Amino acid sequence: MTAPTLLAADTAARTDRPPGRPRRAAAPARARETALGLLFALPGLAGLGIFVIFPLFQAVYLATRGNDILGNPTRSVGMAHFQELLTPEFGTVLWQTLVFTVLVVVPGVLLPLALAAPMTQRLPGMRVFRTAFALPFAYSVSAASVVWLIMLNPGISPVNWALGLIGVPAPNWTTEPGWAMATVVGVTVWMVSGFNLLVLAAGLAGVDEEVLEAARMDGATGPRQFVSIVLPMISPSLFFAVVTTTLAALQALGQVQIMTDGGPNGHTRTLVYSIFDNAFHNNNSNFGLASAQGLVLLVIGVLIAVVQFGVLERRVHYR
Amino acid sequence: MRTTLRRVAVGLSLAALTATAAACSSATADSSATSSGTDAPAASALDGKGEVSIDFWHAMTGKNGEALTQLADQFNAKNKGRVKVNLQFKNTYDDTLSAYKAALNSGQAPDVVQVYDIGTRFMIDSKSTVPVQAFVDADKSTTADIQPNIAGYYSVDNKLYSMPFNTSMPLLYLNKTAFTKAGLDPANPPKTLDEITEAARKLTVKDANGRVTQYGFGAALYGWFLEQWTAVGNQEYCDQGNGRDGRGTTLKLATDDHVKLLAWWKKMVDEGLAPKLDSNTTTADNAFTAGTVAMTLESTGSLSGFLKSSEGKFEIATGNYPKINTTDAGGPIIGGASLWVVGKGKDDAHKRASWEFVKFLSDKDSQATWHTSTGYFPISKGALETEVDKQWVAQRPQFQTAITQLQNTPLSKATQGCLLGAMPQARKAAEQAMQAAVLSGTEPRAALEQQQEALAGPIKDYNQSVAG
Repeated sequence: MTAPTLLAADTAARTDRPPGRPRRAAAPARARETALGLLFALPGLAGLGIFVIFPLFQAVYLATRGNDILGNPTRSVGMAHFQELLTPEFGTVLWQTLVFTVLVVVPGVLLPLALAAPMTQRLPGMRVFRTAFALPFAYSVSAASVVWLIMLNPGISPVNWALGLIGVPAPNWTTEPGWAMATVVGVTVWMVSGFNLLVLAAGLAGVDEEVLEAARMDGATGPRQFVSIVLPMISPSLFFAVVTTTLAALQALGQVQIMTDGGPNGHTRTLVYSIFDNAFHNNNSNFGLASAQGLVLLVIGVLIAVVQFGVLERRVHYR
Repeated sequence: MRTTLRRVAVGLSLAALTATAAACSSATADSSATSSGTDAPAASALDGKGEVSIDFWHAMTGKNGEALTQLADQFNAKNKGRVKVNLQFKNTYDDTLSAYKAALNSGQAPDVVQVYDIGTRFMIDSKSTVPVQAFVDADKSTTADIQPNIAGYYSVDNKLYSMPFNTSMPLLYLNKTAFTKAGLDPANPPKTLDEITEAARKLTVKDANGRVTQYGFGAALYGWFLEQWTAVGNQEYCDQGNGRDGRGTTLKLATDDHVKLLAWWKKMVDEGLAPKLDSNTTTADNAFTAGTVAMTLESTGSLSGFLKSSEGKFEIATGNYPKINTTDAGGPIIGGASLWVVGKGKDDAHKRASWEFVKFLSDKDSQATWHTSTGYFPISKGALETEVDKQWVAQRPQFQTAITQLQNTPLSKATQGCLLGAMPQARKAAEQAMQAAVLSGTEPRAALEQQQEALAGPIKDYNQSVAG
């Protein structure tokens, strides 16, 4: 759903009037050009309208309605659904979403970065490693979740068996509140790392050898070179990885639903899971409350976007 | 400018993502219910209509799905030129019901739909189906061949609303080999919580490092099991006579029996006699077939799978579903799913064709095929008397426990099971309480009270929205 809307927005952006046109062209020609421009913009605008603008208003409308048992909007309930959000339960959901997102984004970017650095060295066999490490990216969320669920199943877990060999007692991966969060986070990190590795490795490969050599001559080696030269040069890739991983973490649903179903006792309940739960799960059809929570997600998403693009992107060095 | 646009793009795409998720299934709102009546047309409705094609939405996977396809093929061959049924797999029970709700709104509903037991109240309230009783009455036939305990669940005010199809009851499964090894008698399985603890102490095996290699007991913290324990105690799970005398308003979650049960379960875990399992039954099933737990709770539907996965590793025995107190005199609820004939927006020929198919699936031969190929409990008394069925049971003495257990269960409001519009949420609430008490160490009564309170809202919402 994200991709088409992004495309649509891009199309809209490109219809900005081209600069440097002569001020007074012949009037009919200008009108024709405007009409043509609008015509080209129409598919994009239509997409934007149908898939973005309309659902947004629909969500606002639904958030103020009750639902019948089939999920149809009925009477107006005013702000009641939003009042339901002012509870400690929903506070916990938001807190857990924040914890989840931070725990996914930080290692989900740093780990691939640490792996990408040695992997861009021209050593024999690195190509194989790169492919192997990038592979998790090819898994669908549900497939990855099921595979990990089996890997960590207390009855047949190969992971527990391996831990047993080195004398470490296996934790209750999905049934201990703290561990359940760690497990879901771990699987998500495992899934996003592959893609981030590709992005960061490509960024590192693009770093100009001459620049590094120049830096070396100026005495910048080792960590200093990495922090002052390499990081700024790959900052566009890094920024891209941070933004996409944040979005992926905020939208995470499949791994939570399949691995823990929000449990144990709601300890892995995140915002998107909560929206799904209220709207579709267990024969629920509380679209009103789900829409209200969806609007909260929108606000959070916009806030994070503002921070990332307003603060972080200023430090990104585009060549 | 570029950044602003991108900011907007990211924000809006997020908005679209969340908003459409909630909006798409209710945007097509059209609640003008032109109920084409819930009357049952007679057999003549099919005359002169050519071959009537009907859609059947179901949630049967794997072996069960194959058996269903086989039955549908039989039906189609028998009714060539008259009725043709198309099977449509709709994923889980939950998804099937969600799809059905959306389809009712958009006028794309199937002709027959399979719905889990806990969706019964909702299906009645949706006013979109023809009660099976109406067809039975129109045909001047009876429901005498249906096991009374099975018909009981789907009967409201003595009216059978849907045709039970795949039904099962819970059993206590034992690792027979481990039992014998521990000096216990598998022919005399534990009957109460205390007896389970006692047996589990003998069954739990630790290795040289003190780590448990075999737990005595282990079952999923599944809400269905709590419902079963309540019925075995002959207690009602919700008010208004288990929702059978009137619309239920409270789920009786915080009862002394439930507190006792969860405290017991927690103690089993603390003593190291049971592992920490969540509400996912697949995980618990694997633990049992891998030999990690020596006793588990599961439905009769799992017997075939268990026998297959344990083949060559250990033998399996079964026992009655355990009691919380020695004095408990009820019996388990027979659950599963049933078939509903859709009436809303359907003409007489389609309604009749649907009934013909439902009738076919419920007769004794179909049920014998169904029982022997899936392990579900046959709804037809006659099915158990067929040759093929008798042979099957003789080869699997473990199933005899289920037959005896069903025969010994008195039919009461308690064993009929609780009927509640918000029953799916109620099951989830029970699981939350079980997880809180057993996994996170919340005091059992507090955990149960908290969930009972949390469920009051959804029950009230449901009852209000039905009232209009």
